Amino acid sequence: MSEATRMYPGIGRDERTSFAPYSAFDIPEDLRELHGRYDVASTAKRVRNFRYTHEWMTMMMGGWLATIPELPVKTGLGKIIWESAVAADELGKRLPELRAGRNVATASQPANQGYADLIQEIASPESPDRTIEKLTGLFDVLMPHLIDVYEVTMRETDQICDAPTIELLDDATRKLRRHVAWGKEVLDRLCDTDDERERRTNRRREISEMLQACGGVCGDA
Amino acid sequence: MKRFIQHQELARDSRFIRQDNTLSTAISELPDDVDTVVEVFEAFDPMIEKATRGTSAEPLYEEYGPSFALVALNDPLKPTDKAVKTRLMMRMHGIFVGELQALEGAGRSLWDFPDAPWEFKMNMARQCWDEARHVQIFEKLLDHVGAKPGMYPESTFLFECACSDDPAMRVAGVNRGLEGLACDVFRDMIRYAEEVGDEKMKQAIDFVLADELTHVRFGSEWVREFTKGDPDHYERAQEFRRRVDKQFSFGGSRSDRDDAAIPIATEVRREAGFTDQELEELSMLSAGGPSRETVKAAARILRERHKAKRAGDGASA
Repeated sequence: MSEATRMYPGIGRDERTSFAPYSAFDIPEDLRELHGRYDVASTAKRVRNFRYTHEWMTMMMGGWLATIPELPVKTGLGKIIWESAVAADELGKRLPELRAGRNVATASQPANQGYADLIQEIASPESPDRTIEKLTGLFDVLMPHLIDVYEVTMRETDQICDAPTIELLDDATRKLRRHVAWGKEVLDRLCDTDDERERRTNRRREISEMLQACGGVCGDA
Repeated sequence: MKRFIQHQELARDSRFIRQDNTLSTAISELPDDVDTVVEVFEAFDPMIEKATRGTSAEPLYEEYGPSFALVALNDPLKPTDKAVKTRLMMRMHGIFVGELQALEGAGRSLWDFPDAPWEFKMNMARQCWDEARHVQIFEKLLDHVGAKPGMYPESTFLFECACSDDPAMRVAGVNRGLEGLACDVFRDMIRYAEEVGDEKMKQAIDFVLADELTHVRFGSEWVREFTKGDPDHYERAQEFRRRVDKQFSFGGSRSDRDDAAIPIATEVRREAGFTDQELEELSMLSAGGPSRETVKAAARILRERHKAKRAGDGASA
């Protein structure tokens, strides 16, 4: 066997293979840098916060199905409930990978009491004449906030070390965008008088203020 | 948002009218006796009349009196029957509102039991999506057979019977009682669609039936899980399911009897996880109630009395 065709390195200095050297990121060229804003522990905490939100969104939408009179809203929420549950499930599966334990009972965690109160407030509209308030809190405020935070997280976390979280959030964000678009279309249709538009504006303001006061899903905004 | 709601709180748009559920309860307990059937339906006559006002059932009420629902419910769906279109529309509407209540039941299971295991919530979330699709499918099928949402009164009997405050009983009622009934009804609808050569209806309902099997399996697994290590609790959940099954047999309309409008889909149920013992129990407890001959005789009397009453009303007016 000639040196030019050596396929595997030998034990001697002159017994190297002939393959050209590249770094792991040369082909294609990878401009990502190591090191991100979040370490393993803080990433796990953020994932627990995200999972908490998706779990509660799933539950509150489930509860609302019976008290929403508009048929297309009932049926439209069905798929969003499932996709929200899948997002919570995927986020939960990431936690053991971040040394955050395997106990699903502790997998969800609000950033602080203010955020937990906000979630209960978003879930609170109950009677059939409050579809606007139900949907506004979730689709006009909370979901757009999640999209913003997920985008920041994806951008600022370690692009190589934390790539699995980025993948999860990328998928969740794509679906959240679809949900927000659906919610906007439904709300635009439901709010066709000045009074109804004012109800939407008021609810949006009320929930946004609470969200701002508690620092958002991770408590750091 | 509170935990646990009553069936009266199910939200509907302005197309829908409710039917009082006490009638459905009474039907599920009727004996095989013409006089009793007549007596019960006469007692419920004002309630039945009220529920039909402004719906497509109003002309049926005017023609047949209070027994119209009983006749529509107790006769099998036959392509040769001259009233088949009306029966088909009524049954399709009943399925549509049943799917709506199954959607609401699955959704409430997510909210009512916040401490339930995550896997349970995943199953219920999946069921929400499935039931939402079923509502959409049956809205399309309503249109396919010339019907529309709200054209008949809605009984919220299914939600009322199945939605217990205990999670084991909730899944026994919704996932095994209600979804089991759905398996029987859909098997019969597929039989009807095959007889009339309606491929659209057959294929759509076959997909729905496949989903329902999955929901029954969820129920079988979660009844066991919620009652693990507690045989008394398991037995109470089984007893609750038997009671729901008895109520959902509508006086033998859904049973193994030769004259049943909806036969029990034994093979489908077995595939969904019902045991032979449970199927035997279901066969026995659903067999009671008036025979078709009794129903027909009672319906004849009720119709004659209704016509006489209307003639009297006309004469005195």
